[in-house]
Amino acid sequence: MKNDSKPSSATRREFLGKLGRATACVGAVAGALSVLPEVSAKTEAPSAGGSFPNKDYDWTKHQWAFGVDATKCIGCLRCAEACKRENDVPRNAHQFRTWVERYVYLEGEERAHIDSQQDPVNIEASGSEKEYRFANRYKDAKVEKAFFVPKLCNHCTHPACVQVCPVGATYRTEDGVVLIDHTYCIGCRYCVQACPYGARYFNEEKGVSDKCTWCYHRITKGLQPACVEVCPVGARIFGDLKDKQSPVSLFIRNNRVQVLRPETGNAPNVYYVGIDKEVN
Amino acid sequence: MPKHILRLVLLILGFLVIASVAVPLLTDASFYRFGHYRANSVIEIAAQDPVYQTPRYCQGCHAPRHAQWSAGSHKSVSCEVCHGAAQGHPQNGKLPIPADAVKLCTLCHEAMPGRPATQPQVQVAQHSSGQQCTLCHNPHSPKIVAAATKVAGDAAAGKQRAAACVSCHGVDGTSPNDTWPNLAGQSAAYLAKILAAYKSGDQKDVAMTPLAQALSNADIQNLAAYYAGQSCKAPARASGGGDAAAGRALAKNCAACHGETGVGGNPAWPKLAAQKPGYLVNALKAFKAGLRKDPMMAGVSRGLSDADIANLAAFYAGQSCQSTKQGKTTP
Repeated sequence: MKNDSKPSSATRREFLGKLGRATACVGAVAGALSVLPEVSAKTEAPSAGGSFPNKDYDWTKHQWAFGVDATKCIGCLRCAEACKRENDVPRNAHQFRTWVERYVYLEGEERAHIDSQQDPVNIEASGSEKEYRFANRYKDAKVEKAFFVPKLCNHCTHPACVQVCPVGATYRTEDGVVLIDHTYCIGCRYCVQACPYGARYFNEEKGVSDKCTWCYHRITKGLQPACVEVCPVGARIFGDLKDKQSPVSLFIRNNRVQVLRPETGNAPNVYYVGIDKEVN
Repeated sequence: MPKHILRLVLLILGFLVIASVAVPLLTDASFYRFGHYRANSVIEIAAQDPVYQTPRYCQGCHAPRHAQWSAGSHKSVSCEVCHGAAQGHPQNGKLPIPADAVKLCTLCHEAMPGRPATQPQVQVAQHSSGQQCTLCHNPHSPKIVAAATKVAGDAAAGKQRAAACVSCHGVDGTSPNDTWPNLAGQSAAYLAKILAAYKSGDQKDVAMTPLAQALSNADIQNLAAYYAGQSCKAPARASGGGDAAAGRALAKNCAACHGETGVGGNPAWPKLAAQKPGYLVNALKAFKAGLRKDPMMAGVSRGLSDADIANLAAFYAGQSCQSTKQGKTTP
């Protein structure tokens, strides 16, 4: 026993010596790194700007949210077309920042038939990939229940898409909008995969991911998002949660609202009324 | 220090030097301003120009239209929904007036499972037979207002006053002449409306204008009540050479207001069944020429040829006015 312990204690001394030197090295590296600029040192409190991102707007004074009243939606798809026009989204039948889904329950069937404007039947009815309309394909069917559901980015409080971005090209603004910096986006599409709602798409023309911005360029100028502006029936509601009398605050207060897929932990900020269990 | 360790340390130091120079050069100055992103990108996104303006923007130049629109039932449908985004207008030219109203209007108003019951919806094929919606509806204020005035006249008093009308319109309102209309069984609201129009001068006729001007408002109510209460006679024999079968096809376009066989649901609009064909021809031609003024009739009569008019007249003249089964009212 004693014979064994002697070399062992020598090794330990050696090891401790090395450990000491290693610690010193790590300390030196850390010290050198702290000399590096940026990192936490330059980060300022969001309120420091006063007015940001434009001179008439202070993003600390707003917290935007969106409401969807599916009981009012008539499936006219003016929102989907206006969004494309407003935000320069490719005019094809596959890429959308916002879209409308139709859920149709036929008599005697358990599951809903679900289609959206990009369904080939609906594209044929519209006659163009640039225009959208729902084909009246269930007019002679025995429909038990049917409704339309507008969909868009949920601008989550804990967005998975932001978490996976390797280059800091997507982020959540102080006023609650998830944006993409197209200059920094490297087109890896991790975010497209990460979004549980399928709200992002890849824009091949620009080589970047793209998504709904709640028309950030409009709301920071006091306008409504384009889809809300053109909705003829008031199925889309937008407003500021910090204003208790804003349309969306009233919508949330006066209705029993729900969000899509709350179990993902993303904490979405689009509140729905009048949707069924199959909608997610 | 062993040589290989020294190399490693030098390598790390070299890396740190390069990094300390390169990172600030390659990172945007606004990165990390608020967090792990470029703060300037927020400014760039917020600075984009809105493409869709608002109805208030349109109001600047189109104030009368805006006023009409904002008072009507389409006030929730913003201008740019139908006319397209107003960015660049008027500098870059006109915004389109939708050419195919059927295609546009049915986006919202085609009857479809899933649309809420509160949304006005039509079976497109039956509602208009392919006619443009704008023929009857004003897109800026689409609800057709034809509030039938309530007629509360005394039929007995009307009968006495009707003595002056007998020579042209017949003893009990059945005209002996092809060009003068039957009045028996006509809807009272329409009779009152048309007599008031003659009296006020909104509508002119050599014979009717002086006669109507001699009537008091009470006389008009009484006459309307009297003639509406008379029973109309069996269909007149078709004359005038129109093709009733061709007229039936054309009449589908009139069915929304006048009923499938010329007996409409709304008393503000006249019954056409068993009316004198000559009178119908004259009336349609007068609408077409603008001599009789009615925005809706002007629209629908504009596309009718003389042959079409004769065919329609022949069709309606041959229908039974006593049919209680009315054509579907506006579906």
